[in-house]
This record gives sequence, C-alpha cells and structure tokens, in this order.
Amino acid sequence: MAAKHYVIIGNGVAGNAAAAVIRERDAGGRITIVSLGALLFYDRYRLPEVIEGQTDWRRFLVHPPAYYEDSRIVVRRRCRVAQVDPARHLLTLGHREEMTYDALLVASGGRGHLPMALSEFAPLLERFDSYRQAMAVAAALGADGGVVMLGGDIQGIAVARKLAAAGHRVTLVPSDHLFWPHRVAFEAYPRYLAALGQMGIEVVEGGAVERIEATGEVGRRVVMEDGRTYDGKVVMPYYGLAPALDFMAGSGVDTERGLLVNPELRTTDESIWAAGDVCQIWSAEENAYRFYYGWTNVKAMGETAAGNMTGGGETFHTFLDERLAVTEAGALHSSFWDYER
Amino acid sequence: MGGTDIQIAICGSAGDGTIACGDILNQAMADAGYRVIAFDVYPPEIRGFGECMARSRISDRAVHSMKESSDVLVSLNDAHAIAHVPEVHDYGAVIYDDAPVTRLHEGQHISGHIKPGQIPYGLPARQIAEQATGAAKARNMAALGFLAGLYAMPREAFERTIRRKFATKAAAVIDDNLAAFAAGYERGAATFKLDLVAFAPPAAAASGSRPVILSGNAAVVRGLLDARLETLFGYPITPATPILEMLAAALPKHGGRFLQVEDEIAAAAATLGAGFAGARAATATSGPGFALMTEMIGLGVMAEIPGVIIVSQRGGPSTGLPTKTEQADLDIAVHGGAGDAPRIVIAPTNVEGCYRCAGKAFELAETFQVPVIVLLDLYLSNRLETALLPETSPFAQGAGKRFSPADRSGPYRRYALSEDGLSPRAIPGQIGGIHTITGLEHNELGRPSDKPEIHQAMSAKRHRKLAAAVDFPDLRITERLGDDGPVDVGVLAWGSTAGEAREAVERARAEGIRAAVLKVVMLAPLPLAAIEAFLADAREALVCELNYEGQFANLVTAATARRLDRLDAVPGVPMAVGRIVEAIRRLAGREAPRAA
Repeated sequence: MAAKHYVIIGNGVAGNAAAAVIRERDAGGRITIVSLGALLFYDRYRLPEVIEGQTDWRRFLVHPPAYYEDSRIVVRRRCRVAQVDPARHLLTLGHREEMTYDALLVASGGRGHLPMALSEFAPLLERFDSYRQAMAVAAALGADGGVVMLGGDIQGIAVARKLAAAGHRVTLVPSDHLFWPHRVAFEAYPRYLAALGQMGIEVVEGGAVERIEATGEVGRRVVMEDGRTYDGKVVMPYYGLAPALDFMAGSGVDTERGLLVNPELRTTDESIWAAGDVCQIWSAEENAYRFYYGWTNVKAMGETAAGNMTGGGETFHTFLDERLAVTEAGALHSSFWDYER
Repeated sequence: MGGTDIQIAICGSAGDGTIACGDILNQAMADAGYRVIAFDVYPPEIRGFGECMARSRISDRAVHSMKESSDVLVSLNDAHAIAHVPEVHDYGAVIYDDAPVTRLHEGQHISGHIKPGQIPYGLPARQIAEQATGAAKARNMAALGFLAGLYAMPREAFERTIRRKFATKAAAVIDDNLAAFAAGYERGAATFKLDLVAFAPPAAAASGSRPVILSGNAAVVRGLLDARLETLFGYPITPATPILEMLAAALPKHGGRFLQVEDEIAAAAATLGAGFAGARAATATSGPGFALMTEMIGLGVMAEIPGVIIVSQRGGPSTGLPTKTEQADLDIAVHGGAGDAPRIVIAPTNVEGCYRCAGKAFELAETFQVPVIVLLDLYLSNRLETALLPETSPFAQGAGKRFSPADRSGPYRRYALSEDGLSPRAIPGQIGGIHTITGLEHNELGRPSDKPEIHQAMSAKRHRKLAAAVDFPDLRITERLGDDGPVDVGVLAWGSTAGEAREAVERARAEGIRAAVLKVVMLAPLPLAAIEAFLADAREALVCELNYEGQFANLVTAATARRLDRLDAVPGVPMAVGRIVEAIRRLAGREAPRAA
C-alpha cells in the first residue's frame, strides 16, 4: 500500500507539532510541510534578541536541519499555496507545481490585520513577526531609535515591552484593539494602562490616524486627525490577527473569518483539518465558532489534529485561562505570553 | 580560515546560456580582483540536449582545484539541477526560477529537493527578463544579476564584462543582456539574504603585476605566441579546437599562419616539415587525433626534427567521451609509435603552467631536436583560472646546437655521435648544410643504414641526448609542496590532478598528517632523481590520476621498483579532493576528524 501523504500548510507551532505527532503515529507516512518562509521552524518569540544584537538566525531554530532529515519531514520553503482542490485532493503551489495529499492540515496562522484606512501606508510600517522583520526593525532603530506603536494588541504589547526594556522609546497610540484578544472591562483599563507605563511604554490618547509620513532624520511621523504628531524610527501596527487562508477561496470548505472546524478540528471536508490561528472551533458551550490563541493552545491544536489525521478521535479543549493581570512588580502580564514559561 | 573562498555552480540545459553565465561571472570577479578557478561540464551535443554545468571557485587567495561542494547553486533547468542540490552544503543557497511556464507534477520543481539546511531563493527569472527586454531569452542574465545582487558583487565589473562578451553582437543584444542583468541585480539586492555566503573585498594585487583570468587553452595560445610560433597546423577536435580557433585569428597578426589540414597525420607531418625548415611550428589535438600522429612522431624522433604537439586529453578510447576529462593518453604520449622512440613529454598542472610549458616546449624541441608533447587534459584546457603571466616573453629564441659552416671539417654530419648525443642542426638552404633525412635508420651523415652497430649507436644517441632534459633551466620539471623531510604520505601527481592533490595534502596537513606532494611536470624523460628522493622521504606513497590503469604509477614503478598505492579513477570530471584526503588518511593510519 502506498504511504499516506500528509501535507501541512504552515511551518509554525501548530504545523511542526502536528508533523512530530504524525511521524510518531505513522512511521511510513510521507510528511510535507509547505511554508511561505525561507527558514525552518524558528522560535519567533525569541526575536526580540535581535534587538540585543543576536542576529544569527540559527540561534532561533527550534530543530536543527538534521531533525527534518532524520524524521523524514520535507519542508517546502518559499512555497505559496495558490489553490486547494478538495475533490482531487490536490494543492497547486504558486510555481504551478501540483501536489496531492491524503490528509491536509491547514495551519497557516494569522497575519497582522491592517485597517483599511492605513493600507496605503503599509510600505512605511514595520512588524516584528518574522526574523526578516525583526532585522529590519533593529536596523531602522539603531541604538536608541523610538517606536510608535499603533493599535496595541497583546502581541504588539509583548514586542513593545521588549523594545522598551532594550532602551527604546515606545509610544503607544491605542485603538479599539488595545489588549486584543483579551476582553477588558472598562473599569480595568486605568490599571492596565498604568502597568504599561510601569513597563516603559508611553500610552498617549487614542484617535484616528490621518497619515503616516517618511521624514528624513526622524524616520517616520504619525499624524493624527486632530493634528497631534508622533515621531519614531519605525511605526508598528498591531490591530489583531486575520487568518491567512486566501488559498482556500473557492475550495468549498466552509469559512467564516477562519476555517470552521469541529472539536476534532476537521473542516467541512473530511480530508482537511485546521489548527492554530487560522481556524474557528465549534464551541457547544458558546454555541458559536471561536478562535483560541496562545502558544499552548496552538500547539495542542496541531497535536490534536495530527492525532485525528492518523485515525484518532480526540477533541480539542483549551488549556489556557485567558487572563490579563498586573504583577506584583506592577507590570502587565497576559496569559497569551505562555511561551515564556 | 577567514576571507573569501566561495564556489558557485550554475546548472542548465544546453541552450540555456549556462556557460555564458559562468564565463561572465568568472571574468567579472577576476576583473574585480578575486582569484578564480572555474570549470564547465557540458554535453557533446550542440544544443537542446544534456546538462551544462559551470562551476566557479572565487577566492581571495590562490586556489588549486575545484571544491567538492558548492556554496551556491543556480538552477536554469530544474530537471538537471535537482541532481546537484546535494552538492550544496548546509547554509548554502539554491537559486531557482519560481515561475515556470508549465504545470509541474510533484517533485519536478527544485524547491521540493532543497535540503533542510540549505537556503532557497526563488525568483521569476523569465518574467524579469521579459519585463526588462520584452523577451525571455535573457533569463539567464536575470538569474546572474540576481546572484550578483544578492551577494553585492561588483556590478560595474559585471556590466563591463557583459559589454566585452557581446561586443561583436548587435547593440540591442548588449542592451538586452545589460537590462536583464540590471533587473535581476536589483531584485537580488532587495532580497533578504539568509545564507552564510559572503564576499570579503579582494586583496590588492601585488604591485607591478595584474592577474589575468584565462583558460588552459588560452594560456597555451599565449605561450605559443610569446615563443613566436610561426606556423600552426591542425584539424579540429574537442577539446583542442579552441587553440586552433584562437591561433587562426591571432597568428596572422603576429606574422604567422594557421593551416587547417585534412587530418591529424597531415597536421603532424606539416609541423615536422616546418620544423625541419627552421620554423617554430606546432599542432594541437586530442586523443583520437594524437593516435594518428604517432607515426609522424616516430619520424620526428628518427630524423631529429623539432616540433611541438599540444594534446588535450579527453575520455577514451576511440571517440570515447569527447567532453569529459581524463588522463589516459600518457602511455601513448610516452611510448606511442613504432620502435624505441624517445621524446619529451611535459604536462602542466595549472593554467600558468600551460603558458610556461607551451612556450618552453619550443626551447626543448630545438635544444633536444625532438618532438615535444605538451599533455593537457580537458579539465585543464577548459578551466578558467587566474594566472600571473609575465609582461614580456620569457622564452628564448633559436635554442639548441645549430650548424655553422665555419665549424665544418669534412662533410656535414647531421647526426654526429657526440658525447651528449646532440649534433648541430642545419636548416635547408644553409650553405654546406646539405644532408639526408629519412625515417630509415641512418649513419652520421643521414644516409640509410641497417648495420647493427649503427642502429645500436644511433639508438643510444637518441636516448642519451634527452638525459639533460630533466635539468632544463627555467622549467619546473618537478615541484615539491607540503612538509619537508620525511613524511607519512607522499603523493605523486601530474597534470591537472596535481591541483587536487595539492589541496588534499594541505587538508591532510591541517589534520596533523605529515604529507607532501610532488608535482611531476616532465613525464618523459622521467626526472628519476627527484622522484626517488621524494619517495625516499615518504613512508607511504600514493599516485592519483584520472585513468583506469594507473599509467603514471606504472611508469614510476617500472623505473623505481617502489611499491605505490594507487588512486585511479575515470569519472569524467576532476578527481574529488576528498577521495585523495581519504586515501592519505588511510595510508597514514588516521581517521577522519569528527565534524564540529
């Protein structure tokens, strides 16, 4: 019998956790991870070390290259999935190569959401989600460059605190996405904002951004509709995540904001599973599909999906008590920063 | 060791412009001051078939061979390049076209074969070329530009080289190639580089000298011209044809002539004829053609006529492997032909040596009045290498004993039995120099004779006169490199394989093995004293060569009775340095060091 081909779209926490479980459970199966990036799976939570001068990306690899060869996991890097055809069990890659699968896991994660009003300024914005972006930010900041952060979701705040700790001036222009995906009670805001101040993050009054300019010496200038301006070497938008699943368009698999999956993480196609920030999982308690974030959840989703792809029947349940808190030292702490454990 | 030592492989199909890309890369980087050694592998078909591979090793110091693994692989055709992905080491790069025009089945695209430790870079080379030039033809230039931009190679040097390379073409050809290169360069420069390949600025050239990059064949041509070659006769054959082509163009400008004759027998005969007439004459060929020349070599030996025969070896026997390298014509070069026919055979070991041997061959031929065979191989003929050539010709004119009527007492004895075996040579037209030449055995006057004592004496003369060749000045007959004094392993090497042997010995020494290599340039007569001295220092002796029978090892064994370890191979490509290192380790009783 031909070896079963497991294809995983996404080279992050969920995808790699799934690959490891599949290899454990199906020693003879073919495993292919399709990745947009050029690097093997690396720990992006350690990227702030780049700001401290640790620029060798090999430090951040979770597994050495030999792990993939030993585990017979093929990682197709710099490969964009253009289309998924569930009826033919076929992926088409951006370079027109067709790849068949027996079981497909979509673990392509999310990408930073950028409000429509800011989209024209995208070339002037930086994020800190990848090694390349981290290097670009480090280069732009230099030793003492300032940062203007827009939005302020919890992932952005995680970056902001590292930048502030490294001695950079961080100005946060909050939006409705402040602390996203935490749902924060109105009365709790002052305490959390104070905690941000304690962490060296200057939080200014929110409001609508009119434009972002490139300025010679300063770098970037954020101009608010009320005329306020904030200068920094880089401007970083953090307005929450949007699932990365363009390639699923036309596939016939049900999506809402993310791919809709049942508690076994199977989509509406019986050969396709999803895990991580890309999927919404049915919650009987809430009678709705919902996202689950955080390293622990994402890893568990990958493992659960992989178990089910190889014949298991497990259901996903969250491991994370979503909680925003202020530590004894007065700093903010999010349960989504669970990767720091 | 720091600095730059990077090997780039460009792989495509015949017609993709692979070799052109490699050539521009080599010329540009040499122009920028780097030391370059490069070797192309291509199929015997002209176009549309088979794999082409251009490999370039670019360094800021002298290097002597190709590396076994490459730092960067550029694919112009995945069907061929996929097989070469494993030769790229970890954290090296694979560059490929990520916008092919046809649908591919799984595994047909190179991205599916890139190893986890390698860094992939895809670019839409065809689209870049089309946008820059309106056609996809220059996609090789787009890929080359990407490579150059990615590694911040000196753009101006590439642009100068492209202009030079296409100088004889229409202006639009130059413009299109420059435009595609520029578009690719910008794309490469804007690409986030993740691999660990980096070029340090080259060291400044020594004052008063400027390294040039040229092929072994081109170096032969330069050597022949600097030695004032007057006539070249030849019949085209791979891989010697470029020598004929270059000299056909260059000789008339130097007052000489090239004549393409009907076959190699005629070429050798004409060379001897011109040599007899006092001209500096040569021919160039390869194995199958050389086989036809052996009768004429016998005539040259018997009649004591100078002539230079350049032989670039390729895979044999017969038509064999026309575009693959081999060192299997040593036997025929040293012994080929009828009877005892001693001749001089010299084999350069690098491109600079090609220049020196080609030029010095005339001095040897005239001094010893004998055909001199300069034995190259395809690897040496075709490879490009940075070389330091003298600004003025170092080659002497009119070497050897010449007949002078003033010295004559009695009839002119063209083949006088002198102590050193050398007798004064007259050229036709010299007053008092009339004599007979013949392929028959002859007496001192040149008149045919089959008397046993004459044949004995003349045979001895023909052999005796070559004894001094091993001490010929200004030609490195042998060269010892590596450790002095007693060594664990001594490596004997000749021809192009000497470069690999030298690198292997350096690597072995870095592992703590006492080792040395003896490059042997003169193969006939064999420089026995130097070889014996070297072997006396070597606890174990190894001969590595690219032939199946161990032809050089057989020569040395027959002459010295020393047991030699042999590393013989006929892969069609240069011998892998690692194989020689392994053999050295084995002989030294050492294991390979553990990887860090």
